[in-house]
Amino acid sequence: MPAGPSRTAEKIVAMLVPPACREEVLGDLHERFLSRSQYVRDALHVVPLVILSRIRRTADPQVWLMQAFALYGSFVVTAWLLDGALLEQQWGLLRLAIPAAMAWLGLILEDAYARPARQLLTILSRGPATGAVLALLSQATFLATNPDWALPQAVAVYGCVASLFLASSVRMLFPPAADQLQGVNAPAAWLKLVGGSVDAPRGSLVWGVVLVAATLLGYLMWR
Amino acid sequence: MRPQMNASDCANSNRRLISDFNYPYTVGQMAKADSLGQFEQLVLTAILGLREDAYGVTIHAKVQELARPKEVSLGAIYVTLDRLEDKGLVASWMSEPTAERGGRGKRCYRLEALGERALQESAVTAKRVWDVVTKVWGKEWGKQWGKEVG
Repeated sequence: MPAGPSRTAEKIVAMLVPPACREEVLGDLHERFLSRSQYVRDALHVVPLVILSRIRRTADPQVWLMQAFALYGSFVVTAWLLDGALLEQQWGLLRLAIPAAMAWLGLILEDAYARPARQLLTILSRGPATGAVLALLSQATFLATNPDWALPQAVAVYGCVASLFLASSVRMLFPPAADQLQGVNAPAAWLKLVGGSVDAPRGSLVWGVVLVAATLLGYLMWR
Repeated sequence: MRPQMNASDCANSNRRLISDFNYPYTVGQMAKADSLGQFEQLVLTAILGLREDAYGVTIHAKVQELARPKEVSLGAIYVTLDRLEDKGLVASWMSEPTAERGGRGKRCYRLEALGERALQESAVTAKRVWDVVTKVWGKEWGKQWGKEVG
């Protein structure tokens, strides 16, 4: 009988596979182990598809769209307040869309990799924070490689802060599908038919409205 | 050589099915029995054939056998199983961890009523196709084709 895969290989695969399906995927790969090269080949075939499938399962297109608008709006409004000329430049709107898209990607990945039964604070903070970090990283990359595509520093930073608040508000009002039921593999499509969140955070509507109002008020006062 | 699996692992585990949750609707209300894709048919057939021992590795082996000579990746099996579960055609639960899997459990699958109905409809349709094809091309063609694809 062949020995199992190395602990390092298993740790790498475990890191890449979303927690919701980690146990069965790692177990199946372990059971199929014949040689190191075969294990790596199997993992390369399995991991991307498992991630995509998990993203599909945690996806809610309507909420995705709302989040995208909220994120893009954060950067556009920030640019309008701080550097109106940016909006009139050629590719100005596209430059603003890049950090917004990165922040959006962060939210999607955070939901796909979320552990079931997250706390309210985790739902509200981790996804938007991951998105903001990815947005800032994209700007840092542009500054290092192609500064013409980087946003002015203030627009990038304050845009990220605004996106944190707005994305958190959207998530408070419309909790991610991954958080609606504590069953690990509960299908998102079924959950939508329940007519609301099975395990929605209490008072989320009130807190969502308060956060949106606070963000708008903060903008107005700052301006 | 691969480790021998205990066929009753899935059967004896503490089942925690999706249907164990207290849903305010029935399986029949969740979705209509959509027409199945060819790969979905293969996966459902594999689960049906494996009965109590249907999990990732065994389902993959069975689908590989049914789809020969085509190659089937394990990743495609996971994606399809997720989709079938979302459609309410199959249900899954985790079995107890075993040593041969590095101390990890299996996600076992079984057909739901909706899945059985969808598979029956697909089988009836396939039978009609088979009847027409053999009527036109002759039964000898069927035997010959069966030999060629193994």
